[in-house]
Amino acid sequence: MLSSIAKPFAALALAAALISIVLAALGASPVGVFAALGEGAFGSWYACVDTIVKSTPLVFTGLAVSLAFSGALWNIGADGQLTVGAIAAGAIGPHLGNFPHAIAVAIILAAGVLGGAVWGGVAGWLRARRDVNEVISTIMLNFVAVQALSWVVHGPLMEPSHAYPTSSPIARAAQLEFYFAPSRINLGMILAVVLAAACYLLLFRTGAGFELRAMGRNRRAATFFAVRIPALTFWVMALSGALAGLGGAVQISAISHRLYEKLSPGWGFEAIAVALVARLNPLGIIPAAILFGALDNGSQAMQRTQGISPELVQVIQGLVILIILAFDTPAWRGLRENIFGAPHDAAAVPPVAEMPDA
Amino acid sequence: MLRANAITKRFGRTLALDAVDFEALPGEIHALVGENGAGKTTLMNVMAGSLAADHGEAILDGRPLQPGSPRAALAAGIAAVHQSPMLFERMTWEENLALGGFDTGAGALDLDAIATRARSLAAKLGFEMPPAGATVENRSVAERVRLEVLRALSFNPRVLILDEPTSVLAPSELTAFLDLLRSLRGEGRIVVLITHKLAEAIAVADRITVLRRGRVVARTTPARTSEEKLAGLMIGEIVTQPVASATPSHSGDPVLQIENLTLDDHTGRRILDRLSFRAAAGEIVGIAGVDGNGQTELVEVLAGARRPSSGKITVLDGSSGGAMAVIPQNRDLDGLILDMRLWENLILARPLREQVTSHGWLNTSHAIDLCRELIDRFRIRAPGPETIAGALSGGNRQRLEVARAIASRPRVIVAHNICRGLDLAATAEVHRTILDFATGGGAAILISSDLDELLAICGRLLIISRGKIRETNPGERDPERLGLLMAGARD
Repeated sequence: MLSSIAKPFAALALAAALISIVLAALGASPVGVFAALGEGAFGSWYACVDTIVKSTPLVFTGLAVSLAFSGALWNIGADGQLTVGAIAAGAIGPHLGNFPHAIAVAIILAAGVLGGAVWGGVAGWLRARRDVNEVISTIMLNFVAVQALSWVVHGPLMEPSHAYPTSSPIARAAQLEFYFAPSRINLGMILAVVLAAACYLLLFRTGAGFELRAMGRNRRAATFFAVRIPALTFWVMALSGALAGLGGAVQISAISHRLYEKLSPGWGFEAIAVALVARLNPLGIIPAAILFGALDNGSQAMQRTQGISPELVQVIQGLVILIILAFDTPAWRGLRENIFGAPHDAAAVPPVAEMPDA
Repeated sequence: MLRANAITKRFGRTLALDAVDFEALPGEIHALVGENGAGKTTLMNVMAGSLAADHGEAILDGRPLQPGSPRAALAAGIAAVHQSPMLFERMTWEENLALGGFDTGAGALDLDAIATRARSLAAKLGFEMPPAGATVENRSVAERVRLEVLRALSFNPRVLILDEPTSVLAPSELTAFLDLLRSLRGEGRIVVLITHKLAEAIAVADRITVLRRGRVVARTTPARTSEEKLAGLMIGEIVTQPVASATPSHSGDPVLQIENLTLDDHTGRRILDRLSFRAAAGEIVGIAGVDGNGQTELVEVLAGARRPSSGKITVLDGSSGGAMAVIPQNRDLDGLILDMRLWENLILARPLREQVTSHGWLNTSHAIDLCRELIDRFRIRAPGPETIAGALSGGNRQRLEVARAIASRPRVIVAHNICRGLDLAATAEVHRTILDFATGGGAAILISSDLDELLAICGRLLIISRGKIRETNPGERDPERLGLLMAGARD
């Protein structure tokens, strides 16, 4: 019992020590930097809420990635799927003013789900029917989505004054309310937690989830035992896209209220790291996403108060994640499993070398 | 001299090797025999450096080997051929051999030179090689084993350890292979042959060491022992002959009907050529053939993993459970998901999956109970349903597959090389299970390259050769004549 408490602290201490060396070498004060990081991420009620706001899109995209990866479908396209979901939400959002709040919210979120599902589904269909490697198709679809967003905010969806490359704001009725205002806690976050639980149940408590995991572990054996691989591939990619697209819609509905270029700072890519840190366990996605969100949030405070350059902030983020992943000794595994949950499947996440099915 | 001194190795709660001493001399073929799970493979892995022992050491010519380093073992002159071929599936066979000792070039990789050297060695051994540039993934198990043997010999090793190499070789290859072992012995090398074919051990070995449950129970020579004595030592009790008699050739209504089944591969090559046959309730039908004549593809088609180009497969009266259960030959790749739990592997079978699923929800505790029941009933040696399939020994993996097939309550069981790598007791057990299944009104199709096995249990024998199937005369039991048919002779 004692060791299970001590281990995480020992691990964090080692991480801190390594980073301190880097910081000291660069002439910064490690203590000040860490204090600022912690203060920025969790120092106040508002800091905490901000951390959660930053984590929310990572939960949606992280779930999208972990679901697809569980079936050995390497969905690198959560960013594109989120973007298309956001475009769909941003396009329909301004026209929902005459609906009651609940209906308007349902419609805008459904639009995001649909947009993401189509984007993921295309990659799934290409893999299932045309045997196009999903790594390639999802990366390509990312480019298409990002350029599509850029086009719509300069073209068809540009706000009426044509002064700024953004869309018109969505109707008030379609905006997710903030509970405990002025904090920005909203329904999207609750939805994220509920969906994490739902994904967990889907993967580990349903027949379809079992087939998905079997396909991920041993595709050949799965074909021998009547798993309908093409259909499963399509639906999982569509569902994965739907989760990411919903993340995009939540972002539009709750936070940004309009479309603009570079809406996603790379949530769909960070999601891959989130999913791998969580060992593809949907319940682990939440703490993993909060870790990333906290690093992101805290590092801004680090920049402000300690004058640390944004590049170094990213170095620190990278180091923390690497330390979490790299030390695969029992003690470290214990730490990881304490925080992010034990992987339900016996084996670890497949190493990167096995990933693309070239 | 190769020595193993008091080697102890533990896997979790299982004591795989318990202070085992072993020695083999230059110019000797030393057979290592034992039941599945007796520790033969573990001992080999310790000597070949793939595993580090908990206690004890392996010594070659007075020099201790670095534990847990296959590279050091290889440098010292120990090469191993593993039971499950360790090959790179998506690479060509030449590329696979490039990791062997054929590659003498400094830096530059010359695949042509490697292929030439490999072919000349293969010709000396009487091995047939795949076409140039063929990837391993579509090759038969026998071809894979041949590649492994070639790779091991390419190092020109002083010690060659072979784990069940002969179980998948064709009869014509077997003779040449045993001659090869003798000639290696003649060159003063140490040959360690792990086998469960006792006749083979007696025929070719100079000395025999018997393992049982991780302990050496006997050291003997062929002159001082017999198959029966060895079998008794291995199992610890007197065993009777596996299965007394073959089943009646016709007993019930037709259950399986296959008509003009044809399969062309993507290059248009004909793999299965208008196969037609039937099986009746209560019947065990054997399909004998040299590996690589379309058996693997036939199993894939029957399992539904591959769509035939034309033809019809009908299972009549699939009233209860699944219509057909398939036991593929490559249990580690096709039949099981080694890093999933036993109960998860169990519900890979669709009928069982459906049995424990209601409205889409998986009833895991139901699945675990079912698994526990089958572990008991089929005497699978495993701590429990939550065990990872990869932790089971080969024989217990096969028991799990058979248990799964029977539990799906099919009308037809199709099994490919079902007893490959199994010892006498396990083989007898599997045969008895299949026999019970047939007696209970099912039809079993056993596909195998082991003619003796098929003759022992099958009521009717078909021969598959170059994708074509032919019936044999009901009375035809002469292995030599059947062997000729397997090799493609026409009457």
